[in-house]
Parts: sequence; structure tokens; C-alpha cells
Amino acid sequence: MTGLGYAVDAVAVWLSGSPAPGWIAVTVAVLLVWVAPLLAIIFPVAALGQIVERKVAAAIQRRHGPNSASLEGPLRFGFRVLLCFLPRATQDRAFQRFLKLPVVRSLLPMLQKLGIGQLAADGIKMLGKEDIVPRGADGAVFRLAPYLALTGAFLPFCVVPFAHHLVMLEVSVGALYVIAVSGVTVLALLMAGWGSGNKFSMLGGMRAVAQLVSYEIPVGLAVAGVVLWSGTMDLHAIVAQQYRPGVFTFVGWNLVQSPFLAALAGVFFLAGLAECQRTPFDMAEAESELVSGFNTEYSGLRWGLFALAEYTEMLLIGALFATLFLGGYQSPIGEQWIVGLHPLLATLLHLGIFVVKFLASLFLMVWIRWTLPRYRVDQVMRLCWLTLVPICLVAVFGLAVQLVLAGGTEAGTAYGRLAALPRPALGVLGHLLGWAVPVLLLGVLVRIARRRHGGMHPALRQLTGGGS
Amino acid sequence: MILSWLNDVTEGLQSFFTGMRTTGKFLVENLRDEGGAKAVTRQYPLHAAEVVGERQRGHLHNKADICIVCHACDTACPVDCFKMDGERDGNNKMRASRFDIDLSKCIYCGLCVRACPTDSLSMTADFQMDPRLDGERYLFRRNSSQLDVHLDAADVGRLQQLSRLPREQLSPADREWLDARIDVRGQHLIGMYGLGYFTPEEKAQADAEREAKKKAKDAAAAAATAKAAAEAKTKAEAPSAGGPG
Repeated sequence: MTGLGYAVDAVAVWLSGSPAPGWIAVTVAVLLVWVAPLLAIIFPVAALGQIVERKVAAAIQRRHGPNSASLEGPLRFGFRVLLCFLPRATQDRAFQRFLKLPVVRSLLPMLQKLGIGQLAADGIKMLGKEDIVPRGADGAVFRLAPYLALTGAFLPFCVVPFAHHLVMLEVSVGALYVIAVSGVTVLALLMAGWGSGNKFSMLGGMRAVAQLVSYEIPVGLAVAGVVLWSGTMDLHAIVAQQYRPGVFTFVGWNLVQSPFLAALAGVFFLAGLAECQRTPFDMAEAESELVSGFNTEYSGLRWGLFALAEYTEMLLIGALFATLFLGGYQSPIGEQWIVGLHPLLATLLHLGIFVVKFLASLFLMVWIRWTLPRYRVDQVMRLCWLTLVPICLVAVFGLAVQLVLAGGTEAGTAYGRLAALPRPALGVLGHLLGWAVPVLLLGVLVRIARRRHGGMHPALRQLTGGGS
Repeated sequence: MILSWLNDVTEGLQSFFTGMRTTGKFLVENLRDEGGAKAVTRQYPLHAAEVVGERQRGHLHNKADICIVCHACDTACPVDCFKMDGERDGNNKMRASRFDIDLSKCIYCGLCVRACPTDSLSMTADFQMDPRLDGERYLFRRNSSQLDVHLDAADVGRLQQLSRLPREQLSPADREWLDARIDVRGQHLIGMYGLGYFTPEEKAQADAEREAKKKAKDAAAAAATAKAAAEAKTKAEAPSAGGPG
């Protein structure tokens, strides 16, 4: 066990005061060292995701979005709580003094305009709502589901490297672990659907199960392609082998390594979108058909947990996408110099770059949501089984062929490649050929396909009685 | 089969990118121009509302100097939103000393305007319930209980005159008098929706308008009679010319 495992051991030893700490000390240490910081990073970012969602949606629809809720109220409340030992008048005076600070005076309207105040207001509203469990619901299952959903979204982050060795568990089967653990979400959604005792919820839950289980396959195949290419399932090693010295670090990213990997990246992103139940794949919610799907009966904090789980899962897909295809926490240019910096500074920089990367993919997801309409249930399944899976299979096969041509799997292993950079077997020419041949082949095929089948859709052609 | 599949996939990708380009364009345009012309939403209390159409039925307005307190509007009104009192003036004519329109009841049907014999009642294009910016809050003036206040015509004139001035310029006596007629939220009891009195300038303008309207009406009538006469003349001549079939 590496990564933060040492820190956990050290804290557990320090807590219990003995060299062999008991399970209570270890649990507390895990909570302190792993869970608390992760929560502190992931949850605020996930909450910010909601603001990004609302603002981007507004901009795309030519509205303003939340920009009127003031932060003054929550801040005043915070002052009251913090200074509760002082008389009310002093509290107010302190608050007025605080409001007059130049930083606050310039920052508050900006935050208000960005909708942060709305976030605070929504949070307070949600906390204050009544916790309703319908009469027909299966109480325990109904209550447990949101927490399970959050767990399923949250657990995979344990193996995602946020910076060099800033990872909770440096397990050697990180990729497998991610796929295995994120399956918990399926169970959570089914529990929510079943436990609500509502037919809409039930339908939503069943849809979610069908969809999630199906889309595990393209996701799994895409990850398998990366694993094949890297020769390791360790996410940290996958990131490490995307490192290239020199100015343009990004030439080492898996996304540009091979057209097959690029195709897998596209499939991974699409399937990831389906995995976190986002439009155009939000069959499980489908508010125009199922009221609100599996979370129809949820309100208040439990509903909030579901929303948080959704955004956390989006972040997860973004983080995995960055890790597998975009060089993880590495900078696109000049990674060499960042590595040479002081470790603490480098770690902070890496963390920042990683957050930017997964926020970018979060933005992309939001953008897609407000562009595309929802698929029909059968179309979603069709897309998975008849489009994404074949593409994945072809891409993984092509990747394997490419690896063999480039000098066997040995050249693809992370440690083999780290030993001899740049990879001699492939070289620049091989790299270019590796791109050119499949792309040209695909281009020719697409050209033929467009000529043969392009133009009007067959159904339309039949309707209009021939034509072009 | 595989070719048609490939065609479907490329077409799907193509339409996807077209859609993304469209929304992306909107996104960039809107973000560049925060709150400006690109965003369709108007931030209403901050930006002025745009009035739609000249025949809009907005708030009622009574020109109290030509109102004869005949209660025709009161009779016509389906929701009883009028309250009025009259006094005889020097010429023994009825003049409104109080004319309150309860806008919380008014349904903007316009029946009173049709009933009005002197055209003193009219519907303006104004639809805002007078939100006034007081510091950072918006105050909404006048509820129906505040409307139920009787003021003499002279009082109304004085109130309107005083309330237009900045508070610092008022004499202590004036200020005291004004304060007695101001409700707790600092709003004047008589405003633009109560008595239809107006300033001398406004009165002159209204008179000019009415005069112009009357002139136009007379001119139109004269023109119509002239035209009719001309037509009669041509008709009289038409048979001799053997007009077209």
C-alpha cells in the first residue's frame, strides 16, 4: 500500500499510541486522512457543478440564470453563530464592519451575480424541508438508497490520482476497482425505484438498471483498451506512462497516441454520460414520461443527496476521462519543469490542473445536456449495443494490432516505456502511420457509405416517394 | 449493411456537432454580453419595462378637472373599485374632491372608460404598480385601506407639490403637514393612481390636446361633408356621361 496509506498508518499509530493500532484507531485515521479531505474537495466542486449547470443552461437559452440571491443573509447568519457569545448589537456592528471591507464589497456582488447566493439559499431550503417517506414505501430501502448512490459515486475517487502520489489507494488494479465499485449506483437506483412504492419510480429504477448495466460494457471495453495499451491497471502507472519530457507533454496523452484510443475516448465519454444518467441518456428520470423517475418521491435532503451523487458521478467520469486519456494531473505543456519544482508546489499545481481538466469535461457534459433532446428507451439500448459496443470491439482489436506492429506488448507496458523514452519501436514515423492508416481507411469507408446511403433518410425517402 | 451503419453513425455525429455549434454560439454570445441585448430576459425592476402596443389597457387615470362625478363609471364597474365624492365649485358645477381607484380590485376591463360621458377617465399604458427603489428594497405603494382617505382639492395640490420637492428644502411646517399624510412606510397617501389632479403645465398640455382633437374632429367632419357633397355632384353628373357598366 502506498500513496496516503503511510499517512493513515502514521496517524493510526499516533492516535492509539501503540505500534499496532486497533481497528477503531485505523477507522478514525482513514476518516481523517482519506475521507475528510476527499469530501472537502469533491463535494464543494460537485455543488459548484450545479451552478455551472444553471449558468451554462441560462447562457445557452439566452437567459441570465441565478443572479439575484444575496449572500448577505447566510453571511449574517454565520456571524450570528460565530459571535454568539457577544451581544446582538456588537454582532451587527461587526457584520456591518465586515460588509464595508473593500474585498467583501467588491467580491459579494460578483459572487451574487455568479449565483453562489442561490446555491446557499437552495442548500438552506433543502436542509429545512420535511423528510417525507410515503406510506406505501419500503422505509428502510427508501431511506438507504440516496446514501448508497452517493457511496457508489464517491468510492471510485479512492483510486483516482489527484497529483503525484496524492491518491488514497495506490492499488495495482485501480481500473478494475473503479468499474466494480461504480456498479453500486445501479443497486442504489433500483432501491430508490423499488422502495418508493410508486410505479413511476419503479419504471425509472428498472430503466436505470437496464441502461447502466448495458453501458458498463462500452465503458469496460474502453478502459480495457487503455489497459491493453498501457499494460497496467494501476491508474497511477497509466498516468505516469503518459508522461513525455520536453515542451509538448500532451503528445504522450493516450488521446493522441492512436486513433483507436481516440475512438475509445469518445465512446468512454458518451457511455460515461449514460452511466451518470445525463441527458440525452436520462431515461431513469425522463421527467416528461416518468414525472421524475426513481427520485419522484424524494424531497429535501435525500433528494439533495441524489443530486449530489449525480454531480459527483459527473466529476468521476471527468476525472477518469482525464486520467485515462488526458494525461491525468499532468500539464499539457512543460510537465518537465513542473516535476522539477518543489514537491509541494508541484502537487498543488497538479491538483489545480486536474481540477481544471475535470471541470472542463463537466462543462462539456452540461453543454451536451442543453443541446441534445432525450433519446427513446429503445434508442438508448440500440446506441449502446449496435453502435458503441461494435466501435469498442473494432477499436480494441485495432489497438492490439497496432501494438503488435509497434513491437509487441512489451513496448506498451508503462515501465518498459518509461525506461526508454521516446519509444524507439514506434518512433515519429510509426506514430504518424498509426494515425494515418486507420484514419484514411475510415475516411474512404465513410465516403463510400455517404455516397451509397447518404442524403435523405430511407424512411423519409419512402414517404416522399423516391427523390434523391 | 455495414456501410449504412457507418452512414448513420457519421450522420449522427454530424448533427451532434451542428447542435453543439449552435448552442455554443449562443453561449459565447450571451456570456460576452452579460445582461445586454443578447439575453432575451430583461431584469425587470432594474431595466425599464417595455410597453407593448398603444391600445394597451393599463392603469386607469381620471382627469379630475373635467370629471363631473356622475357615478357612471361606478355603475359600470363590475368590481366596485371606485370611490368618489364631489363638491360644487364657484360656478355651481360638480367637481371631484375625491376620486379613488382601487387598483387591487380593478380588472382592467375598460367598461368605465366606455361609460364616461366627459372622457375624463382613460386607460394609460402604464402597468407598473409603482415599485420605488428605496435603498435596496422595492416598496409598493398604496393598498385599498390607504385609498380610503378624503382630501380636499387644495390639499391634494399641496401634497403633490410638496412631495415633489426634496425633503431638505421643505419648511418645518410643511414637513410636519406632509408627515401627517404619509404612511408608515414613507409613501405618500395620494399618488398617481388616486386623484387625477395634475400640475398647471400638465393641465395646459391636456387642454391643448383636447383642443387639437376637437379641431381634428371638426376638420374631419368638414372634410366628410365636403366629400359627400362632391360625390353627390359627380353622381348627378354621372348619368349624362354614361358611366361604366
